[in-house]
Amino acid sequence: MSFAEYIKGNSGRVAGIVVLVAAAVLAAVAMDLPFLEIFTVGFVERSLQAATPIALTAIGGLYAEKSGVFNIGVEGFMIFGAAIAATMMWIISGGSPGQSDVWLAILASVLVSLAFAIVFAVLLIRYEADQIVAGLALWFIGLGFGPFMAVLVWDSRNSPSLESINDLTIPVLADIPVLGPIFFDTSPLVMFTAVLAVAAWKFLNDTRYGYWIQAAGENPEALDTAGISVKRVRYAAVIFSGVMAGLGGAVLLAQAGSFTGTGETMVSGRGWIGIVAYLFGNYNPLGAAVAALVFGGLDMLQIQLQTVGINVPNRLVNLFPYAGVILVLTIWGTTRTPSAVGEPYESEE
Amino acid sequence: MLRASVIERLAIATASTALALLIGVSIVAAAGYDPVQFITSMIQGAIGGQSAIARTLRFSTLFILTGVAVAVAFRAGVFNIGVQGQFVVGGFATIMSIIWTAPLLPEGIIGGVGLLLIGFVAGACAGGAYGALPGALKAYADANVIITTIMLNFIATGVVGWLVQNPFRGEGNAAPNTERIPEYVSLPSIVFDSSGFSIIGLGIALATVAIIFVVMERSRFGYDMVTSGHQESAATYSGVGAKRTVVMTMALSGMVAGIAGAVFAIMIQGYYTDPSGIGTYGFDAIAVSLLAANNPIGIIPAGLLFGGLESAGSHIGIYTDVPVQLIDGVIGLVILFVAVPELFRMAAVRTGLGGER
Repeated sequence: MSFAEYIKGNSGRVAGIVVLVAAAVLAAVAMDLPFLEIFTVGFVERSLQAATPIALTAIGGLYAEKSGVFNIGVEGFMIFGAAIAATMMWIISGGSPGQSDVWLAILASVLVSLAFAIVFAVLLIRYEADQIVAGLALWFIGLGFGPFMAVLVWDSRNSPSLESINDLTIPVLADIPVLGPIFFDTSPLVMFTAVLAVAAWKFLNDTRYGYWIQAAGENPEALDTAGISVKRVRYAAVIFSGVMAGLGGAVLLAQAGSFTGTGETMVSGRGWIGIVAYLFGNYNPLGAAVAALVFGGLDMLQIQLQTVGINVPNRLVNLFPYAGVILVLTIWGTTRTPSAVGEPYESEE
Repeated sequence: MLRASVIERLAIATASTALALLIGVSIVAAAGYDPVQFITSMIQGAIGGQSAIARTLRFSTLFILTGVAVAVAFRAGVFNIGVQGQFVVGGFATIMSIIWTAPLLPEGIIGGVGLLLIGFVAGACAGGAYGALPGALKAYADANVIITTIMLNFIATGVVGWLVQNPFRGEGNAAPNTERIPEYVSLPSIVFDSSGFSIIGLGIALATVAIIFVVMERSRFGYDMVTSGHQESAATYSGVGAKRTVVMTMALSGMVAGIAGAVFAIMIQGYYTDPSGIGTYGFDAIAVSLLAANNPIGIIPAGLLFGGLESAGSHIGIYTDVPVQLIDGVIGLVILFVAVPELFRMAAVRTGLGGER
């Protein structure tokens, strides 16, 4: 499927986004808001940063669901990813982390997420766990053991200030007006995510392995007949989704620079929003990344409103993304779910 | 899980809990704490003495009510993860309705009973409405209930948290709390001499279990609910309006959650506070319900077990230095294992304990 075809096949969604943005612009003009002061380059940069953890998680979750397994546990994986990255950064550096420790912490977090994802995939695929219940369980396990790790290390559910990741400036390209600072003078994690979204899209639609994943979700019998193990394809996709969500959590931590384990933890629903992002993107990695950007923008809007002197209570503005999710699901609730999602596959051999 | 017999379910529930606790204890040991002391203080915290038992029953009351709220929806195939939000909205409505109507009624017992009734009705209605909303979104816009209810939990906590901090904060309160409800509006403790637990609260919970059991097992509505959950097409052929049933199911589930919120607000707090700090009864209720295989009667022992765990957790939090978050993690593990009955079935086959393959 080419990009043009995707736009064509999802004209309703694309038109919807256009209408929403247009309505927001009209409202801003009507209320006499200083439009240019709200939609600044800095705002786009912050929105992209806020979108990266969501986009990473969404791309992983999308692969799992395409292969026929609904990985609803991504929120739990994100919490573990963030908690492990934080504790690892502290332990590796002996309490005074620098830039290299941030990268090591992300790597460590990805490796531990890989181990968890393998166990989770075995429970889901070999032992045919109820996907929804097991996924919810993973969220609760994360909510318990994530802060538990923080308490073990710091005697508190929140970490002290750690190190956050520095921006990467690419010479020459960074001097392009507007686009330069947004894409080439920003967190390397943003750049990585943008590249990954394109790669994930190409892989899913233009490679043999991508077709296997889609077939595992749409028509597992056919894939089996073609001599490819459905279970193996699903194992790969579920493990990938767990690792991506763990990475999403680690990235979230690397951007924030400290771990928060109170309440719903610092992840605070971003995994769930990731699921909505790929539903909204209609199982297309690029669409999911754009949707993640919309949610990231909603998340960052409060800073913009404050800088232009509109004082909406923080607590209420923080709820924008959640309300946005409900709105999105209500308007575009019906998505083309892969037909074999949620059903364990038994080979006939 | 649905195909398992009662004995199998019991075995799976017991094995899940035991395995989760075993992992919890191993983590305690691995983290360098004394596991034997951990186990003794857990037992002490759950059933060691009158005040521990009263505390266990207090938590159990809430887990039974919220557990039934979850069971109503899950039994009908509707994944209502929003019990926590419905619990918060219900409890807040209870407190506010009592505060607002208190000046209109006489003080003393008669006014107290009247205000209790008003509070419970307000809590049930608010919780029911907050549950019916995602039900309607599912029925008429096909919005995934799991995700909308989770989002509504965040919204309930945020909005009620803001309300008690700002417009509804009691005068001169340093903490973000509403005013207290009048002293004469309370559930008397009667049996245990413990603040925060009333045998009447437990009675309300058990009565709710009985009513829900009758509705689900013996009434036309309950039959429609369960059939449309398991065999939508069959239900549609026999003339059940699937859309209406989803909305009604969510409303009923939300009402029970609202009653749980009312019990929490009146029996334990007497005012309303920022809901981000009141405990996650509505989430743990999912574990309670699953452990009971979504059977209203089974909710009673499952609720008692979780009440004991929670009570042990607060004891551990005070008297040992093991982080209490461990208990939350163990509860998550219980849910995980309940979701994988196949694991235990295979284990039973391997060890020759029974089961067929």
